[in-house]
Amino acid sequence: MRLPKFRYIEPKSIEEASAFLLDEPGAKILAGGTDILPNMKHRVELPSVVINIKKIPELNTIRQDNGVIRIGALTPLKKVYESPIIAENLSALSSAASSVGSYHHQTMGTIGGNICQQNRCKYFNQSQWWRSARPTCFKAGGEICHVVNKEEVCYSAYSGDVAPALMVLDAIIILQSKDNSREMPLDMLFSGNGKAPLNLKEGELLTEITIPGKAKDGFSTYLKSANRESIDFPIVGTAFWASIKKKEYRVAFTAVDRKPLRGGSVEDFLKGKDLSEEVLEEASQIASKEASPVKTSVYSPSYKRKMMGLLLRSAIQEAMGREK
Amino acid sequence: MENELNVVGQRLPMHDAAAKAKGTAQFTDDLTFPGMLHGRILRSPLAHAKILRIDTSKAEKLPGVKGVVTGQDIPDRLYGIVPKARDEYALARDKVRYIGDDVAAVCAIAPEIAEEAIELIKVDYEELPAVFDPFESKKDGAPVIHEGIKNNTSFAIKKEFGDVKKAFAESDAIFEDTFFSQAVNHAPLEPHAAIAQYDPLKGEVTIWSSTQIPFFLRRNLSNTLQIPESRVRVIKPKVGGGFGQKIDMFAKDFCAAWFAMHLGKPVKFIYDREEVFISTRQRHPMYITVKTGMKKDGTILAQKFQSYADGGAYNSTAPTMMALSCFFLMIPYKVPNLFYEGYHVYTNKPVGGAMRGHGIPQARFAVERQLDLMAGRLGLDPAEIRLKNSIHAGEPHSAGFVINTCGFSESVKKAADAIGWKEKRGKLPFGRGVGLAGASFPSGVSNMSHISSGAVVQVGQDGAVNVLSGAADIGQGAETVISQIVAEELGVLLEDIRITAADTGITPLDPGTFGSGVTVRAGNAARLAALEAKEKLFEFVAEKLEANPEDLIAKNREIFVKGSPGTVMTIKDAIKGYQYADLPMPIVGRGSWMAPTDEPTTLFEQDGNFAPNYSFMTQAAEIEVDLVTGQVKLLRMVTAHDCGRPINPMLVEGQLEGSVVGGMGQALYEDVIVEKGQVMNPSFLDYGFPTFLEMPQIETIGVETDDPIGPFGAKEAGEGTQLSPAPAIVNAIYDAIGVDFMELPVTPEKILKAMEEKGK
Amino acid sequence: MKKGIELKINGDNYEVLISPNNTLLEVLRDKLGLMGTKQGCDLGACGACTVLINGEAYLSCIMLAMDAVGKEIMTIEGIEEDGLLHPLQTAFVEKGGLQCGFCTPGMILTAKTILDEEEHPTEDTIKKKMSGNLCRCTGYKKIVEAVMSVSEQTGEGA
Repeated sequence: MRLPKFRYIEPKSIEEASAFLLDEPGAKILAGGTDILPNMKHRVELPSVVINIKKIPELNTIRQDNGVIRIGALTPLKKVYESPIIAENLSALSSAASSVGSYHHQTMGTIGGNICQQNRCKYFNQSQWWRSARPTCFKAGGEICHVVNKEEVCYSAYSGDVAPALMVLDAIIILQSKDNSREMPLDMLFSGNGKAPLNLKEGELLTEITIPGKAKDGFSTYLKSANRESIDFPIVGTAFWASIKKKEYRVAFTAVDRKPLRGGSVEDFLKGKDLSEEVLEEASQIASKEASPVKTSVYSPSYKRKMMGLLLRSAIQEAMGREK
Repeated sequence: MENELNVVGQRLPMHDAAAKAKGTAQFTDDLTFPGMLHGRILRSPLAHAKILRIDTSKAEKLPGVKGVVTGQDIPDRLYGIVPKARDEYALARDKVRYIGDDVAAVCAIAPEIAEEAIELIKVDYEELPAVFDPFESKKDGAPVIHEGIKNNTSFAIKKEFGDVKKAFAESDAIFEDTFFSQAVNHAPLEPHAAIAQYDPLKGEVTIWSSTQIPFFLRRNLSNTLQIPESRVRVIKPKVGGGFGQKIDMFAKDFCAAWFAMHLGKPVKFIYDREEVFISTRQRHPMYITVKTGMKKDGTILAQKFQSYADGGAYNSTAPTMMALSCFFLMIPYKVPNLFYEGYHVYTNKPVGGAMRGHGIPQARFAVERQLDLMAGRLGLDPAEIRLKNSIHAGEPHSAGFVINTCGFSESVKKAADAIGWKEKRGKLPFGRGVGLAGASFPSGVSNMSHISSGAVVQVGQDGAVNVLSGAADIGQGAETVISQIVAEELGVLLEDIRITAADTGITPLDPGTFGSGVTVRAGNAARLAALEAKEKLFEFVAEKLEANPEDLIAKNREIFVKGSPGTVMTIKDAIKGYQYADLPMPIVGRGSWMAPTDEPTTLFEQDGNFAPNYSFMTQAAEIEVDLVTGQVKLLRMVTAHDCGRPINPMLVEGQLEGSVVGGMGQALYEDVIVEKGQVMNPSFLDYGFPTFLEMPQIETIGVETDDPIGPFGAKEAGEGTQLSPAPAIVNAIYDAIGVDFMELPVTPEKILKAMEEKGK
Repeated sequence: MKKGIELKINGDNYEVLISPNNTLLEVLRDKLGLMGTKQGCDLGACGACTVLINGEAYLSCIMLAMDAVGKEIMTIEGIEEDGLLHPLQTAFVEKGGLQCGFCTPGMILTAKTILDEEEHPTEDTIKKKMSGNLCRCTGYKKIVEAVMSVSEQTGEGA
């Protein structure tokens, strides 16, 4: 399966990359390539220009700055989870990064690329010929959704492993463009619009992820359910952060909605409570109602909901065990 | 010492292992020819439709396109691997029958141009109602998939052995259960490929193809291209796994040959992974109802077996597959009375074909599951019930199989012991369990004279040996095993053998790799050829050593007299002497072998002894169910296998280990999911066959018998072990959580649902 | 628009004319004839196309050839030293760690990165890091044994 034709550009700086993005509305950023290149082979992404930002050196770094952990967007996932700062203090992130795809995807794939990956759907992530057996769906530029054909909404699911982990760690992202730079909580990056999942302004690139020092003060984990222990995207992924002393908790899910989802109800429920068997049971029940997944994959929505609860249950148990 | 084997029975690396490890072993896609063109197939996006018109003009005008062909351009010849079940055109002529059906092909100077060109072909279809469920498809009034095939049932088999009615009447317990075994893709790592070249002077097409069946492919190409067999030469390069999926001609073979003939240039076709999933073959989904009558002590008296195979759009191997699923119900257990009815039903879906076990894995899943169910109902031990019903060597088989050697009951005992059956069954903590299941498989097919193998052996002047064999090594190591047999017979070492195989222009006839028959069939042919060469040499050496030829033994590059190892001559010297004695050179031996048989049998009409010999095996599984997620982990699988005497124990182990993991995939991970005729997971990402991380601990146990027909006592090892891992695992799941699963695969979702229902 | 690039493969520089949409796998196989790198799925999900980029295991079917410029590329053709099989190749051969051989080059290269990083990896590490290399023939057991055997030889002072 050949790649479509495109113009290839290797900017030397973020500003240059941003300028290309502004000049060419059809341009796309290439980082590790493990998401965009299969999509291009399937002709669901057809960039006129591919901007390979990997030659910009300063984006592949992990450093601590006044307790804040700063990770360049082009840091390979493998480097993320092998970094002692992260492995020792931010288990949710190291578990999530090491659960992406297979080892190969972890050496190639970058943290920024993982965050910015396209939403997925069983009717979308297929070859052009395969998709020609059905009318073109919203996400591929058509006028129908094969999952929920009621309203003009694309239900494709966000399926990245890393974003929910970063969300429970209260990560802030830095977006840069030619003349501008802004910060926002990672949650805000995701639009919830299946067709265009990221809230990026024209010419903007994700350049850095920062994690506040106090994220290290809690327990965190990321649990993933998948058909196999390698290669696969999550059926459901659940990230959990807990400060048992302060009785503060954060929960996020992936592969259950059009964006990675903070577990608002379950966080409200947990807030101020000591973790116990009863609390865990109820939290698990609440968690399984946090999202309404639809049939974007071959796994049933009811199973996904069940797994949201069960994975959170396991995560809380892990936190309780750690505390002892 | 004289009777010891030097080469046979040794754990030797495959003769081409270094080339494979170096990456220099040449698979079809690794071959290139000057001026080579690249082809691509246009496939149907509709499940069922009439082809009204194909407009190829735009594609033809695309610069770089050299040829376009559609079903209207090619000879009106149906083909199929089983002659009585031919129902397929190389390219669809009037209508398409599934999403993925072959419609047209192009070839161009570069693969990307071919890819672009097929999108320029405009096909006008008239969509027809489609049917995706075999039970809907067999109803009156269902859409007709192939003209003239009533109820879309292309093959039916009904057989009775013994007196079933009487035996049921005499039974103490009768139970009926229904099972389903899903569609499984072979998923060989090498995608299907072909390259063809044409010699206009000789009028000969040469095709390099990733095939398991060079000689049948030659026959099918000859038939569909309408040229004599002698003008088709099929060469099999290295094949990157087949597991049955490469038993058939495919559009890529035909189209490569067609373009080569019409354009006079070499043409290459490589299938995308998606095409391998959708447009080649898969294991038939099968719906099975088994009714079994038993005595109180667990003795099987009668079985009634009804199966519906969801065949997809074409027959492929359908009749053979159905017959196998029938006849192999009567081993490894004695089933004195059996009524079998089986139906192969067309649907507008991907095509079923031979896959490792070929019709038997589905049947074994049903039968081995039901044996456990019956054991539970009668309060018997599942291992005991298998021992009680085990067939033994020399015992009659209801359909006339001749069982010369049988290690089945020993395999049950050994597998049960190794897994810790007595200590574990019913005694492990909730969530953990053990289960076992048995099986038997033929070592190839007998009683059909076109299922014969030939070999030629030539002893060179330095004692090295050239072997010609038609056998198709697809990665299992057939060439190595054949070489070991020849080396042993001639008394040389494996490194002295050079084998040329699977080239219909050079090597003798061989049916190919299927039915797990290569070692016995091609191995025996090679042994006969070696023997003939050896006899010539022995006649000469006997005179020199003043002994009788029948008293000579060749071993370790020497020939000596039985009982007096000091009276010896090296093979090199023997050949030198032979040459100086003015005896005609070269020393050549030839062998042709088919399984011994009294009368021909096809199993479709006549019963009889299906195979030269039969392997027997038991798999015992220990599993753990994650009670939170429902994930089943196969912790350990013991496989005790009677493959006669292994020619190469290391390669046998490799076959068994691969079969275990494949069988585990069938049990827990794999499923070709189809929605309205469209495969939803046609990729290695979405069709999740097991990785390193799913692999269980595997223990292989040899159960040795010495078969009188197999070369050096060998029987099959390639397919049998994939028959019963799935029921062994599902039986173990019952032991772990007390739930009886009747459908494959057993996914975490099903486990959680079942546990919830059980909790209620 | 075609572009001339230079790739450093197995220590040698190759000049080659490519299109930006060529994957590294296409360039290795179709333009340079380095056929040891296999195409199994072409979508980055089987590992048959594994090459080493600056010593790390990469999937060459989902990597642009342009992106490999300036990097050290190693393919299976480059793993032998002085014409001798690499110990991993020998181990795969002798332990039966291969059958059809199609996944083997990728397996061996991934195994090399594991042993280069860590002399004595655990069996679990080997399985985890090799889990992107699919094999349908062997059931993986003998591959793990082959890699373990090389790890055990290392550092014994031979």
